[in-house]
Amino acid sequence: MALLAPYTKIPEPNTATILLVESEEKFQSRLADAIVQRENDAIVNVRLARRLPLPVENSETRPRVDLVVFIVNLLSEHSLQVVENSLSHLRSDFFLGKVCFMVTDARCGALTQERLLSVKKLAASHRCPLICAEHQTEDGVAMAASRLLTLLKVSAGLSPVATTALYLSTLTRCTVPSELDED
Amino acid sequence: MEGRVSAVNTPAHTRLTRRKSYGRNCMESPVVFWQTPGHLTTLGTRIPTSRGAARSRNITSKVDPEQLALLVKHEWKLAYVTPLYRFQHTQLKLYSKHLTAFILAEKQQGVAIEVGLEAGFKVTLSTIHGMAETEEDAETVFIQIHSKPTFGADALKPVWRGWLTCVNGDGEYLRSLPPDFVSLPLFCSSGSESLTSLVRVWFERTFDCNFGSLFLNSTTLNWLAALWTGCHPTSNIRFLKLSWTMPTQPSLDIMYTVNPQDAWELWNSIHTEDSAEGRIHIDEVQRFMNGLETHFFRHFKIYLSAGTLTKVATSLGSAHHEGKIKIGSSDYIDTLLTLLTECALHRTPV
Repeated sequence: MALLAPYTKIPEPNTATILLVESEEKFQSRLADAIVQRENDAIVNVRLARRLPLPVENSETRPRVDLVVFIVNLLSEHSLQVVENSLSHLRSDFFLGKVCFMVTDARCGALTQERLLSVKKLAASHRCPLICAEHQTEDGVAMAASRLLTLLKVSAGLSPVATTALYLSTLTRCTVPSELDED
Repeated sequence: MEGRVSAVNTPAHTRLTRRKSYGRNCMESPVVFWQTPGHLTTLGTRIPTSRGAARSRNITSKVDPEQLALLVKHEWKLAYVTPLYRFQHTQLKLYSKHLTAFILAEKQQGVAIEVGLEAGFKVTLSTIHGMAETEEDAETVFIQIHSKPTFGADALKPVWRGWLTCVNGDGEYLRSLPPDFVSLPLFCSSGSESLTSLVRVWFERTFDCNFGSLFLNSTTLNWLAALWTGCHPTSNIRFLKLSWTMPTQPSLDIMYTVNPQDAWELWNSIHTEDSAEGRIHIDEVQRFMNGLETHFFRHFKIYLSAGTLTKVATSLGSAHHEGKIKIGSSDYIDTLLTLLTECALHRTPV
């Protein structure tokens, strides 16, 4: 089983590719539309997947993936389990700034607090940023898209400022307060 | 500080709790969406990972059986309450009068001449002694509203019931409250919505507190399923019913009824009695639920974990994730109320 690797392929000029992984497929297509509509300067490819590993068939034609986004719906335990299982199919170089977690439904009152906490711990242990997204309003989707684009441009090397993905991720990565780490 | 009765006193309790607030609190929810991610509550993120197994205790020896009978067999809608300022258990008679007057005044608003059958209300507040488990717990307060029919001298008809309680509340938090505050974090009501909101408004104005709806998340429901199943050998639970809602189009509701003996055998295989002095660990609860879900998957090829657990019911009681409970038997009432008190404290904003 091949691991997905970030540096095995040659990048296309002025192109960035983002991979959205969500088991429910509820949010990813709307998010993909928002991302594509928002970006004018560069060519942005959005790839969707329900889980990793990606199928072997198209692996030759698949462009180089610059950012992998794991979307966790906090209302379902299953989506967290899928993400946990998918993480092992990424090469470790991805975790140097090319992976990001996104949670939805974090504002829901019926939420299980433990699940948000375990996503936070997951993101912190992989040194990745965690983004909370609102998926029910247009504005929320647009905001989520713009935040992902910011990360994507850096990780694809399109940012005009000399910021590297590794540098950005040290600034944006999720940290869990030490008082929660006791157990 | 004690002598002053002013709004200055109120924020004091906010500061006393150990965690910082992000300044978002006391907002009544538009339906479910009100919480900011990582929202801070009175107990912070201290979520207990283990709790004592449910034990049958003869609660009728402590609590008046008549009062206890009022609590069972009704469906209660749950809410959390922030600590009450200057609430005194000795003043309940006076509160009854004030609340009666308030409800009457609100009901008559905009009505020139009194019409209709429900002309009068009689409100009684009383204490249910013996529900408290620890020194810090305040005694439970029971509120009953009867309507007085205008015609005929019929008996009073109960139209609304509610109670405020605290069972095994977090000691550290309760001790940190200033002396003028009484914490009764769990509010249960049964009756018309309009009366519920009137009672809430009266409490909010009189005791400077705040009510908010309480949802039972899947972890709480998992706990209940495991705790109730563990009661099976001593008191027959008759059935274990679990309901899930799957996020499909159209949405799919799944009712999963488990034979109590099977459920107990599964639980018994996971939880060993002699380990850790009757404590149950969250991992055991998770494994129990996973066992049930795996069994379901083997037959129907549906991942129950992809959906939301909405209801858990046994003959001991039922709990709905929208914050509705029913108490079937008073035997294990303290286990249920301990769990719910904790949920309420977890939801109370700082």
